[in-house]
Amino acid sequence: MENEGKKQRIGVYICHCGGNISDYVDVEQLSDIMKREEGVVISRDVMFTCADSNQKEMIRDIHEHHLDGFVVASCSPKLHLHTFRNVAQRAGLNPYNYVQVNVREQCSWAHSDHPDQASVKAAGLIRAGIRRVSYSEALEPLRITAVKSVVIIGAGVAGMRAAIELARMGNEVFLVEKEAEGGGQVAAWDTLYPTGTSGKDLTQLMLKQIREIPAIKLFTNATVEHVSGSLGNFMVEVKIRHEKEESLKLPAGAILVTTGFDSNLPAEGTFGYGLSDRVLTLPEFRKRIDEASGNLMVNGKKIRIVAFIYCVGMRQEKGGNKYCSRTCCTTTMHASLELHRKFGNVKAIHLYRDIRTYGKQEVLYNQASQQGDLFMMFKENDPPVVSLQDSRLKIEVTDHLTDRTRFELEPDLLVLVTGMVPRSDSDRIAQLLKIPVGNDKFFNEIHPKLRPVETVINGIMLGGSCQGPKNITESIQSSLSAAAKINAILCKESLELEPIVARINEEACTWCGICAGVCDYDAIFQMETDGKVIAGVNGAACTGCGICAPVCPADAIEVAQYTNHEIESMIDGFMAPVILEEKLAEPGSEEETGEGLMKEYPGIWKEILKQLDKEPLTIPQIAKQLQQESELITYHVMTMNKYRILEPAGTDEDLTFYLYTPKTRLS
Amino acid sequence: MNKLNLQLADTLRKYGAKEFTACYNCGTCTAICNLTDSSSYFPRKIVRYSALGYEKALESSSEPWLCYYCGECNESCPKQAEPAELMMSIRRYLTARYDWTGLSHKLYTSTAWEIGSIVFLALIILLLFVFYHGPMTTELTPQGGVKLNTFAPWKTIELGDWLMAGMLSFFLLTNIFRMYLKIIRQDKSLHIPLVLYFTEAWRIVTNFFTQWHFSECTSIESGKKISFSAYWIIHWFLMTSYLVMFTMIVVFLGWFQTETIYAWWHPQRILGYYATIGLTVGIVYFFWARVKKNQEKTRHSHITDWTFLVLLFLTTITGILVHIFRINGWPMATYYIYVFHIMVLFPMLMIEVPFSKWSHLAYRPFAIYFSNVVNTAEKKKRS
Repeated sequence: MENEGKKQRIGVYICHCGGNISDYVDVEQLSDIMKREEGVVISRDVMFTCADSNQKEMIRDIHEHHLDGFVVASCSPKLHLHTFRNVAQRAGLNPYNYVQVNVREQCSWAHSDHPDQASVKAAGLIRAGIRRVSYSEALEPLRITAVKSVVIIGAGVAGMRAAIELARMGNEVFLVEKEAEGGGQVAAWDTLYPTGTSGKDLTQLMLKQIREIPAIKLFTNATVEHVSGSLGNFMVEVKIRHEKEESLKLPAGAILVTTGFDSNLPAEGTFGYGLSDRVLTLPEFRKRIDEASGNLMVNGKKIRIVAFIYCVGMRQEKGGNKYCSRTCCTTTMHASLELHRKFGNVKAIHLYRDIRTYGKQEVLYNQASQQGDLFMMFKENDPPVVSLQDSRLKIEVTDHLTDRTRFELEPDLLVLVTGMVPRSDSDRIAQLLKIPVGNDKFFNEIHPKLRPVETVINGIMLGGSCQGPKNITESIQSSLSAAAKINAILCKESLELEPIVARINEEACTWCGICAGVCDYDAIFQMETDGKVIAGVNGAACTGCGICAPVCPADAIEVAQYTNHEIESMIDGFMAPVILEEKLAEPGSEEETGEGLMKEYPGIWKEILKQLDKEPLTIPQIAKQLQQESELITYHVMTMNKYRILEPAGTDEDLTFYLYTPKTRLS
Repeated sequence: MNKLNLQLADTLRKYGAKEFTACYNCGTCTAICNLTDSSSYFPRKIVRYSALGYEKALESSSEPWLCYYCGECNESCPKQAEPAELMMSIRRYLTARYDWTGLSHKLYTSTAWEIGSIVFLALIILLLFVFYHGPMTTELTPQGGVKLNTFAPWKTIELGDWLMAGMLSFFLLTNIFRMYLKIIRQDKSLHIPLVLYFTEAWRIVTNFFTQWHFSECTSIESGKKISFSAYWIIHWFLMTSYLVMFTMIVVFLGWFQTETIYAWWHPQRILGYYATIGLTVGIVYFFWARVKKNQEKTRHSHITDWTFLVLLFLTTITGILVHIFRINGWPMATYYIYVFHIMVLFPMLMIEVPFSKWSHLAYRPFAIYFSNVVNTAEKKKRS
């Protein structure tokens, strides 16, 4: 019988979201329609489904109507999935007998320009949800016990700080460092903003703390060779190279990656780099400032003018790195202030693309400009031109603030502001841990805002600049955040994991191994039951991604909550025809009379459209052709853009002005 | 190719420029200024030229002279870069650049030169009087006045006046000519029809006598927009008083330095009193404003601002005393104070008119004239 096992007492709640949804989606009518769906006992539209009062009402409904499943059509499950799972739990219903349908982000917000279609789409999605919940099964969370120890890879500031905190919270910490000494790149820096502390002092202080905490074991000259296991029970193989090579196996409940960054090294010839000892990278220059005493000299002569070229190798449209390295603007300001402080009246010229001294670092920018530093912006397609003549430097640059006048300067020293790039060996680490890297080749978090320190591998976290350019504060913030996440997992007696994982149909499976081959998480292994070789799933490692299910030739794998029954029923539900009554405009309203709509465009709009009919133009070009002030044209073009008569179509060659094109052709 | 001159910022600081390197060129100063229009972008551009050390552009710009320093840009500057103070400093800098003798640069950038020159010129006057003065008679005129023309015959003094006026004119006119070369002749590509120089010439006269643009300045004080008309009227009063006095001394000395005591309503006395009151009111007002720093435009005072006011004050007060002593018949006091009067007057005119603060009386109307000539020529070229 087709109805076998299907739920017969389903509740449906459609949310207004205070108008966010109901302004565009006809929630009242949908709620009426859903009442007629098979298995639905009650269907309501609610102003705010997530409100406390309504949650209580839902619990009462579940009890009174003996509901065996329910659907909430509201916002994204990322926001309220757990809210309503808790409602189910409190009402004594298994939380997995609840389905959330997203009609806000996917209907009302996305299709506010077509409200009737938004309602049709919403009807389909809600029906799909009802059919899905009718096949849903009750699930119990997976439970595992975890080792209370953490392996941290990299003993820079981020790794050391996380190690100290994790140890203080009662975990055993194995800190693995490739170099002969801990401290990382910060140890090489002389003064740090804003306190003026030396980097060496700071790292020595942290190393001293680490030595004093018995729960932390620091392994130097050590590299990670192999990683196995999953959340709660990793096994990390480490090779230590002291007098003799030694191999260790470290058990870990979680792994924290704090491998840091490398400084970008420009190719030889980039702005004269490598061709003259007057051209340095920013780290080289900082070292020069730190080491010099008395005067800053080059070729035996006192340096009076230093030029900085920003974004070298960074923010490149083509070739090079596309991303902004965030920290270099501030580092340059700091270096320029140090230069002035240590060597007196040395002039600094900053040839920049944008100054990004965000937050309190703006203070440094301010100080630099007040001490007399000169700032000149350049565009990517018009970079400064550096030439070398008899060991003298000459730079040509356009100044955009003086009608693009070309200027020439002859600095004694040119500093190329280079940014952070991933470590040269980060590929190896990524492969060992099976963590993904982003377009920028740094390790990738799950979501930059919602889950900023977690990787797609449960139990492997990221801290510091291995994840993207960061300053010391940000590095430590992220590694502490990862430490807190790790501790939250390891502090429990046993871990509860989401049961939405792959399941093997033991009868159908004949172990061909294809599924294990496609699994990104090493969650599928070969096992034997009752003398039969089949596939087994490590629930702690499985993320429920579902890639194994379609490749199985025997159809022996399915993912809980995403069974074939559920998916097929959802498709049927979505495709079922929907007939909505059309709501007529109220008599006398603006929609009905057409009042308030524009009957005819002003004369100048027609003129502008006539110009744009031939080709997209910029505002100055339109102004020139119509012989009008560009302020006037700007005003009209902006208004037309607002009414969607025009739309931007890219920019001109200099990336200075937008081109505009008609959105509606002139009839 | 234009060269950046980063040392210029240091030079400009000597001329009184303050925090202008803090500027990030947002243009608020230009937007707020009442005197800018669609063809002028000061102070923003001038600030940028200064930061870059783009001397060629600075020298060929008439814009610094179009600013009368209301200080509204200072008040609205988000970076407290004090653009108006920079404009003031650039005017000093330009005065020095126009001056071919190099004295102006020395006077503006060195206190020793400023004070030394005043003392030097005063000593010359003193020595001239010591050796060449007439009899110091205690005999009085029939009206009871001092016989000043016996001690210092006006014919002789007038000869000195003419000599001085000749020198002043020579220096000032040559400097104005250099100003013309820098503002108009620098851009060789622009053809300026000769007739423009005549059709625009009226601007020199009207702007010299009215300083009309100054009255267009406004300022915000305690949140209220106030007009600059009071400041402008007092400044105008001072300027006309100075002109009257200067004219009487240089052109009509025989009539002015007389032994006859005229009735109080006589033009000689009326004009004398007008000038005296105008100078006194002006000096007191500007002294007060500079000491109290109660206005944006008087918050900063360069050393040359003070020497100018002090010299003008001393000249006026000694002039008044000469008048009182002479009328009341106190011969010796009249002679001594007369010598002191000339000792202050001569350095003041010699230094201030061609080389320092007072030259703006000539440079401002000429700048307006030159910029209108250029703008009209450019407009013609475009059409």
